[in-house]
Amino acid sequence: MQAVLEDFLKAVRSHDITVSSAESIEAGHTLELIGFENREILKYALSATLAKNVEERESFSKCFDGFFSFESFKEREQEADEQKQIKKELEEYQGDSELVKLMLAKDQVALSNKMKTAAREVGITDIWFFTQKGIYSQKIMKEMGSGEIGDEIAALSGGTCPTAAAQANRLRQVRKGLQSEVQNFVEQQLAIYGANTNKRLREEFLTNARLSNIERRDFHRMHEIVRKMAKRLSDTYAKKRKQTQRGQLDFRKTMRKNVAYDGVPFETFWRTKNVDKPKIVAVCDVSGSVSDYSRFLLLFLYSLKDVLSRIDSFAFSGSLVEVNEIFEDYAVEQAIEVALKEGGGGSTDYGQTFEDLKRDRLENPNNLMNIDNKTSVIILGDARNNYGDPRTDILKLVYQRAKRVIWLNPEPRISWNTGDSEMDKYRPYCHLVSECSTIKQLELMIDDLLKVSFA
Amino acid sequence: MKTMYGHRFQSVEEIQEEFEKGGYICSKEIATCLYIAFNLQKPMMVEGPAGVGKTEMAKTAAEILGVPLIRLQCYEGLDESKALYEWKYGKQLLYTQLLKEKLNDFMGDAETMEESMAVLHSKEDLFFSEDFLEPRPLFKALKEKAGCVLLIDEVDKSDHEFEAFLLEILSEFQVSIPEIGTLSADIKPFVFLTSNNNREMSDALKRRCLHLNVPYPDPEIERRILNSRVPELKENLQKNLVDFIHQIREMDLKKSPSISETIDWARVLVLLNAEQLDKEFVETTLNTVLKFEDDIEAVNEQLEGLLENMNSPKK
Repeated sequence: MQAVLEDFLKAVRSHDITVSSAESIEAGHTLELIGFENREILKYALSATLAKNVEERESFSKCFDGFFSFESFKEREQEADEQKQIKKELEEYQGDSELVKLMLAKDQVALSNKMKTAAREVGITDIWFFTQKGIYSQKIMKEMGSGEIGDEIAALSGGTCPTAAAQANRLRQVRKGLQSEVQNFVEQQLAIYGANTNKRLREEFLTNARLSNIERRDFHRMHEIVRKMAKRLSDTYAKKRKQTQRGQLDFRKTMRKNVAYDGVPFETFWRTKNVDKPKIVAVCDVSGSVSDYSRFLLLFLYSLKDVLSRIDSFAFSGSLVEVNEIFEDYAVEQAIEVALKEGGGGSTDYGQTFEDLKRDRLENPNNLMNIDNKTSVIILGDARNNYGDPRTDILKLVYQRAKRVIWLNPEPRISWNTGDSEMDKYRPYCHLVSECSTIKQLELMIDDLLKVSFA
Repeated sequence: MKTMYGHRFQSVEEIQEEFEKGGYICSKEIATCLYIAFNLQKPMMVEGPAGVGKTEMAKTAAEILGVPLIRLQCYEGLDESKALYEWKYGKQLLYTQLLKEKLNDFMGDAETMEESMAVLHSKEDLFFSEDFLEPRPLFKALKEKAGCVLLIDEVDKSDHEFEAFLLEILSEFQVSIPEIGTLSADIKPFVFLTSNNNREMSDALKRRCLHLNVPYPDPEIERRILNSRVPELKENLQKNLVDFIHQIREMDLKKSPSISETIDWARVLVLLNAEQLDKEFVETTLNTVLKFEDDIEAVNEQLEGLLENMNSPKK
């Protein structure tokens, strides 16, 4: 019971469910209470102790079903002549390998148990990668005693006696049958214990890969990663809406609440300050070289909706295009594709872009739309202006008005200011300039932005 | 610490039966979770949409165990003084005022400052005794001699600070009050926490609880619930009602109707002596089930189709 539970917990852990040691003790108690008799109740019971939210419950269910399915050496009804056949074969067999006898007798239960014992002996629960399948199958076969079969085959096929040759062939068949059962079993075990290793490795790789190198087929995985990151950030900052300002007495409230006590201030109330959710103006270069980065920035920002009061997004290459409406009309993933198309085309012109930004967000007749001291401006671009006028004067205006101006440059630092890159000219008018080529860097930057906004 | 539930229930089926007697129909999953919770004495975290009977479960449990139900409703800004205890400042103040005149009498022969202080010291505990303590739900739950069912409702609405405070209570079932000392429960209360998933709870709290997700019930169970709650309802009507509600739940609505709404609607049917669920009746009473104008409109638009499906449900 103990060993089964240990293996099961290992399987559960590999399905992305964290199980602390206290929880495994708890699971042990549960198992003691419920027992193995009723599978349905056992599943509910362990799920209640181990799975902590809806997603975990789902993967738990999958894991449980996989772990407790016994498919190898399926038991079959043996018919009369089949039994006769078995008897005959057993009589013909003259070696003394326990394994062969079991195989010939088709004793499924004993074989299955033998295989499981062997599997535990060679530590099947440590299987992680599909490349390990071969070696584990070999080990299990050996542990079960396939070596003896090999020896017997060698001995039998040495001579010229036809019965011996036939017997050897029979043994080869037996060995083959065993092999395929073991391989099947190992395959199942890999699905149980190695379920998430590949996924985890892939995620780790994607988190640190240059965003422009990420292939289209990995986009849905990236979306998942971004959503996870965004959720973590939302959770951290969503609650920080009110902040106590220590040391400042809210005199009116204190008096009002203490009238009951003759005006003696037993209970004191302190002034609080509401922390505003930050407003974001995102200006994204969507020209060919940078569009992949813009995609993930936009995805990230729109996944953070809960903690931002407004996201005002623009796409540009030749001129500035407002893309807010697209995000209202479509789901985020789709909207990004549309927005990237809308803004694209034409060679990058930062001068014109800033000109347009000035028109739309600095001198907009509707004052609410304009950049103010609660707005953080994020500009994502490589600052390659095709030798045009950089219009730093406008960026300076933005810098003076906005709470923060952040410039994200996807190029490695070393190639800034080479060729037509104007990074150094823009740099004085930004609060923060950072390289941002992986999703990890993007996360750090946004974390920083929120930290400053909610401080 | 003694427990009141040790081996009270022998099997999952027994729980199902007992709860059904108490008017609460539970699925096997719910019963299993309750069974472990009773036997291992772990708090139970119940999640699910509003109105599926999370609170009702706690009430029924209290009834079956024959102990009081103590309820703590959580909200943003809930703190120790509202959840655990508070000093009755007013009473303390009033008593001081009254005693002012007696002051001379009992200070009597104290001559020096030191002597007066000593006299005062010997009396001060009077004002910080349980007489001046206003017990709040958690305090009450710990003091309950025969044990109790403690329901901490909508724990996801509380602040992080309060959550941390809850941890202490849930693991030790004791609190320390600086002026009085440590208070610990004689009998461990049986704890239900409910959550609507407004926010993720901390891992530490999750780890201490069993988790149960209560979804909308399947038609079979919902019919049985109606049977036990509104027995006056005719059988064919009951079936129609459940079918109709299940169809509405499939739709994309702001707030899908839950069990409590189904029960309300059934009561309305009985009250109005309705013979069948026809178009006119549904149109006039739909506001018992749906709480948003948009939702009512959306359902009204498809009403005829829904009613037709209900009479010949596709299986």
